Amino acid sequence: MIELEHVSFSYADQGPSVQDVTFRLEKGEFAAILGANGAGKTTTVRLMDGLLKPTSGRVLIHGADTAKSSVSERAARVGFLFQNPDRQICKNTVREEVLFGLRTVRGQDGEEALQERADAVLKEFSFTGEEEPFSLSRGQRQRVALASILAVEPEILILDEPTTGLDYLECCQIMDRIRRMNEERQVTVIMVCHDMEVVLDYARRALVMAGGRLLADGPVPEIFRDTDLMERASILPPQMIALGLRLGAGFERADSPEKMAETVLSLRGKEAAR
Amino acid sequence: MIQIQDLSFTYKNGESPALQEISLTVPDGGFLGIIGPAGAGKTTLARAAAGIIPHHYPGDFYGSVTVNGLDTVDSSIIDLSRLVGMVFQDVDSQIISPLVEDEMLYGLENFGVSREEIPQRMEEALEKVGIADLRDRSIASLSGGQRQKVAIASIIALKPRILVLDEPTGELDPRSSRQIFSLLKELNEEQGITIILIEQKIMLLCEFARQLAVLSKGRIVRQGDTREVLSHAEELQALGVNCPRVTTLSRVLSEKTGAEQPVCINLDEAENMVRRLIP
Amino acid sequence: MNNLFQYVPGHSLIHRLNPVTKIFLTIVICIAAFLTDRLLFLAGLLAVDLLIGIVAGVANRTWNIFRGLLKIAAFLFLLQALLTRKGTPVFWIITDQGLLTAGKVVLRLVVVCMPLALVLAVTRITDLTNAMVQVMHVPYPYAFTLSTAIRFIPQFLEEMAGIMEAQTARGVAFDKARGLKKFSMILPLCAPLLISSVRRTDQTAVAAEARGFHLRTRTSGYKQYPFTGIDLGAAAFCLLLLTGAMLL
Repeated sequence: MIELEHVSFSYADQGPSVQDVTFRLEKGEFAAILGANGAGKTTTVRLMDGLLKPTSGRVLIHGADTAKSSVSERAARVGFLFQNPDRQICKNTVREEVLFGLRTVRGQDGEEALQERADAVLKEFSFTGEEEPFSLSRGQRQRVALASILAVEPEILILDEPTTGLDYLECCQIMDRIRRMNEERQVTVIMVCHDMEVVLDYARRALVMAGGRLLADGPVPEIFRDTDLMERASILPPQMIALGLRLGAGFERADSPEKMAETVLSLRGKEAAR
Repeated sequence: MIQIQDLSFTYKNGESPALQEISLTVPDGGFLGIIGPAGAGKTTLARAAAGIIPHHYPGDFYGSVTVNGLDTVDSSIIDLSRLVGMVFQDVDSQIISPLVEDEMLYGLENFGVSREEIPQRMEEALEKVGIADLRDRSIASLSGGQRQKVAIASIIALKPRILVLDEPTGELDPRSSRQIFSLLKELNEEQGITIILIEQKIMLLCEFARQLAVLSKGRIVRQGDTREVLSHAEELQALGVNCPRVTTLSRVLSEKTGAEQPVCINLDEAENMVRRLIP
Repeated sequence: MNNLFQYVPGHSLIHRLNPVTKIFLTIVICIAAFLTDRLLFLAGLLAVDLLIGIVAGVANRTWNIFRGLLKIAAFLFLLQALLTRKGTPVFWIITDQGLLTAGKVVLRLVVVCMPLALVLAVTRITDLTNAMVQVMHVPYPYAFTLSTAIRFIPQFLEEMAGIMEAQTARGVAFDKARGLKKFSMILPLCAPLLISSVRRTDQTAVAAEARGFHLRTRTSGYKQYPFTGIDLGAAAFCLLLLTGAMLL
């Protein structure tokens, strides 16, 4: 569980990037932070892991103030996947990379247990373990980064634009894996993402930011249907939502092409019956 | 006009060919989108179209690439750079200067644009990209998205006849991306600038590009009018290329109604399609 | 660290000096510092350094640079004072001669380093290199290398900070380590950083080529750098410094 209480943050000699943000994430939630460039999304997720300390307000993880403990101590419970996997990867093989993360935070479990854990994770991600990370594609490197974070079984997963620069298949691979962690192990997920289709497909809750403030907080489809809110936050809703809004009553639930087609057919059926 | 004929290219030290038997023509004033999964050779194709391959990246080059009649192998990179402007994928390596204004000046100075013309060209380009207020900032103080806009503005100021852009909106939010795409459309329609655009944001690309080329494993597997290419949605998805949701809707509706529905590439078309189905 | 090299915009007298004059002034201060052997004159040169910083409106930066240099200077002072064996002892093994030489050595160091760092604070790097090419006829590729290197400093630091952040987030205790320990933790992470820097430099070369790098001539600059009255004044001041250093 993560709580932000009236959190504000300003970078040195700049105006505030996050202002008076308050929300609370329960265990097992899958939330996305939406907003235009410069809305304060990345700053907010950095604050959540204590990589930045709030100028005012408090961030609590499982009730403990992040200002009172170090980020590295939290790594066993909070995993952070960055946009650029190359900043994380530092070993010559995928196996060593996964083991590096494990040894850093789960060293007390003993080498044998860690080796077993690494094997299991590599198998799950279909890596042999002998691959050299820097000869893999960007998408594959992002999977290596994700594998080494998931290996330590964090309770909370923070994602900062995890799919930028990836192609469609790579994006699905990463996001499907994260969804499984969320559903099977109740891992709390919070992500910053610019691809609204990805947000619609995977996240359940949306936090909308603009100018450093939290504008709205609610279920994903409802947030996207609030045209006034989308305008204020400079967000373009996903295509099927936008189409549903244009078509009006009866299309509220049609947020995927399949559901849209079903809605069209059932309305057609009713029309024919009359 | 860019004409690529039977182009195959293997990077020096490369194990396998990055491009194989590529034949592609982009007419004057064309707007071509290039899509394909990671590692398909999109960036290599962009480099070849701009003449950076083979001039800067050595390797085995077969076939020919001609840009407005100039064979890229025989012409110097100087002559080519006057014709083709390229926006690179990694914005931080594209930007040379520490300040926005100096970055804008760099190409203008080199290409010998007159002192009288420079301020106007610079302002116009900054204005078009919507970053006139960033002119005196240092690059280090800008966000990734702002840097990307600076890179685009610095190329547009040079008024190239052909623009090659390699994922120019990677760091931009959807609204800014759309703004950049609209700008490209304007340059294309009003000034007849030929545009070659590599992009993962398929939905936007399909709305703006008139033609698409689909790359997979170094080969072109489909090319043609955007709508025609998208009518092979299932084949594309099998290759790992996403389609706009409205296109998927066309396909699902065709299956479910048992009648062929038009291939939609934007919201307006999708709305019309649905409204026709429900009288 | 990042801030120590970044340009501070302004319109002060010092800002408006021709970049070439600024380089010249820097060199003259260096020469003067090595010509003179008097402690008092060195102190005077230090005052000149500080004054330049204040006139340029970058007092804060000047103070930061000065403070940074003092740390190194203190160490050198101690070393020099301990190693000099000549003169009469004043305290333990430290002699009056030792104190004097040590004082001169560190003052010289501070006097010489200050203007070098200050030049970057009051001159846009592109103005510096453009003026070097236009006025001093330095070949453009050299100037380009210099400006790119300086341009890469903030980028390199940004990347470094990003790597440390990412590693901290996965449990590497950067946030608790200090000094040498921290340094030894960073070292293994430098390999990927170097690889990406080299790749980046190569791409920057391509990007420069694609924007007419080879077409650039000595007269290509949009901005011109004529010498004005203040440059003349600065030159006169330089002459004064040099004469003073030789005579005093």
